Amino acid sequence: MTILRRDLFKLGLAAGAALSLPSISRAQAGPVDVQTVRLVLADLQVYDPMFSVGAATQNHGMAIYDTLFALDSKFMPQPQMVGRWGVSDDKRTYTFELRDGLGWHDGTPVTAADCVASIRRWGQTGSGELLMERAKDISKKDDKTFTISLKEPLGALTERLATLAGNCLFIMREKDADRPATEQVTTNIGSGPFKFNEALVKPGVSFAYDRNERYVPRREPSDGFAGGKVVNVDHIICENIGSQQTALAALQAGEIDAIYGPPVDLYSVIESDPNLVIQVIDKAGDDACLRLNHLQKPFNNVKARQAMLHLIDQEAVLRVIAPDSRYGRPVTSIFGNSTPYSNDEKTDWYQPGGDPERAKQLFQEAGYAGEKVVILQRSDTAVVVNATQVVAAKLREIGVNAELAPSDYGAYSKRRANKGPVEDGGWSLFMSSDSDYVQGDPTAAIYLNASGENAWYGWPKNDEFEALRAKWPDIETIDHRKALARQMQSIWWDFVGDIRLGQVLTTGTFARRAALTGFIEMPQRVALWNLQKV
Amino acid sequence: MGIYIFRRMVSAIVVMAMVGVFVFLLLRFAPGDPAAIIAGDNATPQMIAGIRERLGLNKPLPVQFMHWALSMLGGDFGSSIFTGRPVLQLLSQRLEPTVSLSILTWILSVTMGVSFGILAAWRAGGSIDRALTVFAAVGFSVPVFVVGYFLVYFFAISTRWLPVQGYQPIANGVGPWLVHLILPTAALSVPFIAFIARITRASMLEVLSEDYMRTAAAKGASPYAMLFHHALKNAGVPILTVVGLSFAYLISGVVLTETVFNVPGVGRLVVDAINSRDYPIIQSVLILTSGLYVLINLAVDLAYTLIDPRIRY
Repeated sequence: MTILRRDLFKLGLAAGAALSLPSISRAQAGPVDVQTVRLVLADLQVYDPMFSVGAATQNHGMAIYDTLFALDSKFMPQPQMVGRWGVSDDKRTYTFELRDGLGWHDGTPVTAADCVASIRRWGQTGSGELLMERAKDISKKDDKTFTISLKEPLGALTERLATLAGNCLFIMREKDADRPATEQVTTNIGSGPFKFNEALVKPGVSFAYDRNERYVPRREPSDGFAGGKVVNVDHIICENIGSQQTALAALQAGEIDAIYGPPVDLYSVIESDPNLVIQVIDKAGDDACLRLNHLQKPFNNVKARQAMLHLIDQEAVLRVIAPDSRYGRPVTSIFGNSTPYSNDEKTDWYQPGGDPERAKQLFQEAGYAGEKVVILQRSDTAVVVNATQVVAAKLREIGVNAELAPSDYGAYSKRRANKGPVEDGGWSLFMSSDSDYVQGDPTAAIYLNASGENAWYGWPKNDEFEALRAKWPDIETIDHRKALARQMQSIWWDFVGDIRLGQVLTTGTFARRAALTGFIEMPQRVALWNLQKV
Repeated sequence: MGIYIFRRMVSAIVVMAMVGVFVFLLLRFAPGDPAAIIAGDNATPQMIAGIRERLGLNKPLPVQFMHWALSMLGGDFGSSIFTGRPVLQLLSQRLEPTVSLSILTWILSVTMGVSFGILAAWRAGGSIDRALTVFAAVGFSVPVFVVGYFLVYFFAISTRWLPVQGYQPIANGVGPWLVHLILPTAALSVPFIAFIARITRASMLEVLSEDYMRTAAAKGASPYAMLFHHALKNAGVPILTVVGLSFAYLISGVVLTETVFNVPGVGRLVVDAINSRDYPIIQSVLILTSGLYVLINLAVDLAYTLIDPRIRY
């Protein structure tokens, strides 16, 4: 068997031709389609925004459903589906009239009955339960008008109808909304600016929206989530790319237009590419938080909780969750940094670097005797892994027997519901994060519920705080609320409901190609209207 | 032969049933709560409890098992507890990319692996043999995702010859289908080429040292006839065994490759289902995969008779 030089030459030619074929096919692919936007978003597993508070599901709701009211860029509620509305002199009866031109994707008109059924279903979720507690009657008057009658006035009713915390109040068809909130609606027929393209759905892979040609936007200019929802592109395709490296490579190659929530460690790569831009759409970001188990040792003792307050070095945590100082800063108010109610009441515990000696002393005063402190650690989220390691190291430095319990999200979400001691599979603390903006509404912010067994995980209990929190919805002026916020914060930092680790702006961030513009800069949700591609 | 095939088919059903019981129990005893995942990270415990009740996850395990087993026997593989879509529909959407990737990888791996192995054995001790040995060692050791990102960097980002990620169904044209599969196939094939090349080389070296090979050479047989008519046929059984066994490795490699190249295949479906504790998907895919594995081993066993007439069942 002899291989001739001529054979090698032929082989080289063949290989060259084969390798250039794909580039030829790419060259024949044609110009960029400016009417189709391709985004990398979290996988859409659950379609019903009343069934799940997951961000992907709520964002899906923003695309295909519409809301009665929507928040503008100053977080003031503005009518969206509602045309005219009014309130009786005794502030107990609200009347809403739907604006003209509202229609479902199946061609039928939106009616007041749809709105009533949707509000009632929303009332079964955490976000709507306060309204249902106060409501005497919610009923339609005619096809376009409905009323909400209250047992007693509710100062912030329209604000509540426009809420972005938890489950947004998306209006669904009566026949969809006439079922329990714990039973999923999968029809995906809304009245919003986008129609869900069922034919292109590949669960776990991609989903797509088409422009709703029949959608009539409000005449007002777009302002936050309020104003006209004008759609400038025909299709939006959302892909779920499992590997963030692959997603970035696809963005660099122009195969996709934007990635939501790119990993922090790739920011420098993105910023070095002239075709790419990092855009923070959620300027309020998230507040990282340590939830302490108030039911079990050692954090059932207020001294131990106060010890944690003094121990935590927010700068050290921020260095691992937001290494670039442009995207992170300390937060000392339970009302966040960005809300009007942020204040400095009882924040003298804060000092850069923390105060480990004081923390050690407080643990001793709490009678801490070396009990195991179990830190739940979600191993599927890099920032949580890193931050909990910092917390564990800080605890060990002052002699606390801290143990990390890594697991995937599935196991973590089950274990954190365990109220028992660590010996029975319970836990001592875990890290979480929630919107900084949402902290401005203590009736909606899950962290600020201190009702004990019915509170969010950690189950903090303080009756005095709860009594003040109950007053919140009835207060109409910002100044009065600010005063109440100071009182609430004073109590919170005394009994230490939880521990704040810092505010991060990397969660609501897009890495996008420069040719794609128009992202609406608002917290919590991603709006797909207003996008433009050149 | 017929009785043998029948017995193997029965054993496949038994294996699938055992896998079913094992997977069901493993999933239920593994920590994790689909209701909590569905409800979202910031959901209240009350909402989660409501969803758990609605999905029937509070029912006793024997009741859940019987419901699932009876449905399976009736051909109903259930629905995803997240999307509510039938598992078979989800699987059918994901099957084509995985099957395409697997077949192309097998074809490339077997042709190149066997060719390299023969070449190395024929030139044993020479520079080609040494080069192929180094390639085999490196190819078998480097993880698929490293090879994958390396290929993406050179062929997708630097040269823009090939797409970074994604998949095009064959119905959209053979060209786009093939273009999207070149990089994943190349990445996934590297360890299999290395593995098959090493086995082929070892097997061929053994056969080439046999007396009858020397006789064939003395009779003036051409190198082609010696290698392919005399040696390869006799070295074929271990090679075929390796090709069959490599199916299991191929499945695990497919998961990683599909992730790196964003190929929407069964591998990613299973990984996502495991992360979200979507029990019906995990159970169905694992049962079907185990059945397929048994069938491929059966096919390999039957193929032995084609290579070695002395083997009878």
